[in-house]
Amino acid sequence: MAAAREIVILGAGHNALVAAFYLAQKGLKPLVLERRAMAGGAAVTEEFHPGFRCSTVAHAGGPPLPSIVRDMQLSKHGLETLESPVRLFAPSLDGRALVLMTDPIAASKQIEQFSKKDAGKYVELHKALKRTGAILSELLTLTPPVIEKPSNEDLWKLFKVGRKFRGLGKKEMMRVLRWGPMAVADFVAEFLETDLLRAAVAARGIYGAAMGPWSAGSTALLLLRAASDPYPVGNSAFPRGGMGALTSAMAAAARQAGAEIRTGAEVESILVKNGAAAGVVLRGGEEIPAKRVVSGADPQRTLLGLLDPVHLPPSFAVKLQHYRSNGTAAKLNLALDGLPAFTALRNVSDGNAALAGRIQIGPGIDYLERAFDDSKYGDFSRAPYLDISIPSILDNSLAPAGKHVMSIYMQFAPYRLRQGDWTQQRDALADTIIKTLAAYAPDLPGKILARQIITPKDLETTYGLTGGHPFHGELALDQIFTMRPQLGWARYRTPVKGLFLCGSGTHPGNGITGASGANAAREILKDLR
Amino acid sequence: MGVRSPGTAYVLLHHYMGEIDGAFRSWGFSRGGTGAISNAIGAAAREAGVEIRMQAPVARILVKNGAAQGVVLETDEEIRADAVSSSVDPNLTFLKFIESRELPDDFLEEVRRYKYRGSSGKVNLALDALPDFKCLPGPGRHLRGAISISPSTEYMERAYDQAKYGEFSHRPYIDIVIPSLTDPSVAPPGKHVMSCFVQYAPYKLSKGTWDEQREAFGSAVIETISEYAPNLKSIIVGKQVVTPLDIERQTGLTEGNIFQGELSLEQLFFLRPVAGWARYRTPIRKLYMCGSATHPGGGVMGAPGRLAALEILKDTGKGKH
Repeated sequence: MAAAREIVILGAGHNALVAAFYLAQKGLKPLVLERRAMAGGAAVTEEFHPGFRCSTVAHAGGPPLPSIVRDMQLSKHGLETLESPVRLFAPSLDGRALVLMTDPIAASKQIEQFSKKDAGKYVELHKALKRTGAILSELLTLTPPVIEKPSNEDLWKLFKVGRKFRGLGKKEMMRVLRWGPMAVADFVAEFLETDLLRAAVAARGIYGAAMGPWSAGSTALLLLRAASDPYPVGNSAFPRGGMGALTSAMAAAARQAGAEIRTGAEVESILVKNGAAAGVVLRGGEEIPAKRVVSGADPQRTLLGLLDPVHLPPSFAVKLQHYRSNGTAAKLNLALDGLPAFTALRNVSDGNAALAGRIQIGPGIDYLERAFDDSKYGDFSRAPYLDISIPSILDNSLAPAGKHVMSIYMQFAPYRLRQGDWTQQRDALADTIIKTLAAYAPDLPGKILARQIITPKDLETTYGLTGGHPFHGELALDQIFTMRPQLGWARYRTPVKGLFLCGSGTHPGNGITGASGANAAREILKDLR
Repeated sequence: MGVRSPGTAYVLLHHYMGEIDGAFRSWGFSRGGTGAISNAIGAAAREAGVEIRMQAPVARILVKNGAAQGVVLETDEEIRADAVSSSVDPNLTFLKFIESRELPDDFLEEVRRYKYRGSSGKVNLALDALPDFKCLPGPGRHLRGAISISPSTEYMERAYDQAKYGEFSHRPYIDIVIPSLTDPSVAPPGKHVMSCFVQYAPYKLSKGTWDEQREAFGSAVIETISEYAPNLKSIIVGKQVVTPLDIERQTGLTEGNIFQGELSLEQLFFLRPVAGWARYRTPIRKLYMCGSATHPGGGVMGAPGRLAALEILKDTGKGKH
């Protein structure tokens, strides 16, 4: 049997690749094992129809932490980010267009057509999110402290964040504390009066969550995202070549630093000897002994699926079973013969430029809430919330000349359906999404050459996300920071010695930022010292 | 909030606070209704030296040089005082009883932002006989406690869904008590009263007014209970439907919120009622708050009143140090 490796890493998602890079940098030569034929996890570019490629799952950058982009020299490894000057285009059903430019002044000019008051308030909201985002971004790179017995280092780091927080001033500080647990519908109403604009911002508080805008705590999610990008409706940055190009660059950086990446290598179980991780067993029986095992898979798959539960304290296992990870998101990827014509853009001279960022179907707070209501009872939304991108507008590498790809992220599609299963319902879901969109772009159905529907069940079976949850578990107040994935186990370690978590099921676990992977690597290195 | 709303576990825990005669976390009925609790507290207060004047509606609070000096009644009678403590909600205290120029703008902004959104109503029924429940026919001990029409979490969540869009629940969650079974003094011999607490009845309706919708609301409640106790309609001899608007009109509770403001996480503890003003004091010196809009909030618990008194005593130098 081969000598034990220092580290094996399960999965080659973005967080695992980031962790692999930082560990390789220290000469640990980690071995990354990926079940699929390609690295990238849920940030991949795949051909779904001959000649048509798109970011099949995640379709917009987190964006990755600037420190990660710098350390991994991602641009040197081929990452080119394409930014659309339009962040978001949100059509209303009555044919009006809300086009939000990156430049806040240009955005507020657009908003003026809806409300003079909102034009000013939008800029104010952006500033407020910048201020709080700057402080919360400090938390992203922090290992959550031990609540009962914080170390001196924990206290010092928290003190530093706390000092910045106090720098906000008493009034602002109180506002932030008040905002966190609020329903995002209330939060946006404190700034804005236009329902279409309110919904454009509020969607960021429910994206990927089993929450509607009236759910308490949805503002916390918006603020967490503002820590990565304070622009109120989020970013519209796409890697050239799709999200797969980002993870390819990460994989190249990790390899160059000394990591080995094996694809087509599915881990079937994690070996434990004398209460400590001892390696992994691949499907087919190959054993790979290792001193440490780091999992980029979600906490439930790792600890309840790949590990024999006898190695876990019973109370830990029970609590982990209650960790909420039933997803509510689905994807529909379309190959298009040409760009669809949106009714709301009929009088806009350069309408196609408005389509280059993200497009949101979710024209009001009640609309978003009703979409959520359906999912509570196990139905997918009859009128869903859609977050769309047409990356081929800025990136001609994705589709044949003159053709386009449309990537549609959809909510709410509950993992557990009340009636039937996802095998039966997948076409009905795709039809509902297309019908919904056709109300805004009537020529769309005629332009569809091919479609790929990815249900929550597919997210689980194809991409390995338990419950089909894109973020490895709900980002709710009781499952973030010191409680992600579980209170007392938020420091990337697990009850099994030498077994670590580095995926989105750990703090901060939000989007394609890579912060979880970088934080985990730091903690693993500490244990090695 | 619905049963699936984040943060509702707090409201559940909130209801486990308190004790009655030494029994921690207990709930009970008071002989003579909840009015008897207030009467007992009133008697205790009088005995301790408090004077209680009825039918003395306050019109405004006198403020001079940033300090409270007393109140003016609706009859124009002026009552001077060293300190004023308001147990009504912030909307009345700061937006009705005090001129806005006496208060800092950012404080007023927060007071206006404080959310009430009453979402419950009451239907009180005078009954000729006892209701007969299909699931447990005949009279019995099961009628003496709380009767809850909440057959599933989905039922309750659907009841809430309607309220989100400004409608009262057509099949509401109802918490029923028949106090006449434990306290015959509230009804003539052989007759009964049935007190139904109903959720959801949003203060702001998307269509029509509560004056127009009152009857329909009452009918929805009676129809719902009748599905479980079919004899109900035939035994009703009188009914009173109390909408959130009625609660506001009768008790002064803004938007009919029985807790003087939503018990949502952003309106609790050091954020109740306004961040930075959770210590029973106000931007006006010698003006205090002591109602349910202060920590720890609503329920017939008395805690805000006691905590406020302790703070007031501290300020006057009479408290224990």
